[in-house]
Amino acid sequence: MTEDRSAEVFAALADPTRRQLLDHLSRRGPASATELAESLPISRQAVSKHLALLEEAGLVAGDRSGRKRRFRLTPGPMSEAVSWMAGIGAEWDNRLEALRRHLRRR
Amino acid sequence: LRLRLGKPETGKESVERIERRVELAAPPSEVWDAVTEELSEWFGAVADLRPRPGARATFRWPDGRERQAVVEAAEPERLLAFRWLPFERLPSGATVMVGPGRVELTLAPSGRSTVLTVTEWAAVPAPLAGGAGR
Repeated sequence: MTEDRSAEVFAALADPTRRQLLDHLSRRGPASATELAESLPISRQAVSKHLALLEEAGLVAGDRSGRKRRFRLTPGPMSEAVSWMAGIGAEWDNRLEALRRHLRRR
Repeated sequence: LRLRLGKPETGKESVERIERRVELAAPPSEVWDAVTEELSEWFGAVADLRPRPGARATFRWPDGRERQAVVEAAEPERLLAFRWLPFERLPSGATVMVGPGRVELTLAPSGRSTVLTVTEWAAVPAPLAGGAGR
C-alpha cells in the first residue's frame, strides 16, 4: 500500500457514517444504495456520496445487477478484518457521543 | 440451544480488539449509573443489564435484533465487563450463531471528570479473517 493510498483509506474511515456503511456491508453482505438507505438512518443521496468515496479508496466495489449496483466489501488496501473492526469502532464512536449527550441532559 | 464456546470449526476466525477512550464531564458515580441503569438511553439498544457477575443481560435493537450477554465483572464506579453470547436473534425470529465477543468499560476519576475506556474484543468471521474474500 503506497503512502497516498493509505491516506485515502484513513480519510475514508475517519467518517462515522462511512464506517457504519462498512459495518453494515460486513455484517449483512452486499447491498444496493437504496437498501442501505432503507436500513440505516442515512438519506439515499448521502449513501451514494459516501459509497463513491469508499469505492475510490478501494474499500468497496459496486457490481452491476440489472439496473442496480450492489456494493460489497473488497479485499482492498486494508485487510477486511481491519474494516470489520473499524465498523465496531464506529458503533462505539456513535455510542460514546450519545453517552456524552445523555450525561449533559442529566 | 447448546452453546459452543470452544474453538470455531473453521479455525480461521480471529479475535480482534478495539479500544476507545473518552473524558466525560461527570463524576464516576454518574458515569456508572449511565453505563448500567441508563444504558438504554445511549447504547442504541434497549438494554436490560444488572451489574452483578453472572447476571444475564439482553439487548434489543430498534430493528428487532436481539443479543444476550453475561456480566463477568461489576465493580461500582470502576469496572463493568460482559461477554456477548455467540448467537443473535434476527428480526425474523430466527437465531443465528455469531462470533463471541467481550466488552470492558473502565472508569477512572480525573478531577471532576471521568475517563471512560471501552475495549471490545470481537470475532472477525472466518471469510474475512481468512483473507479469502467472499
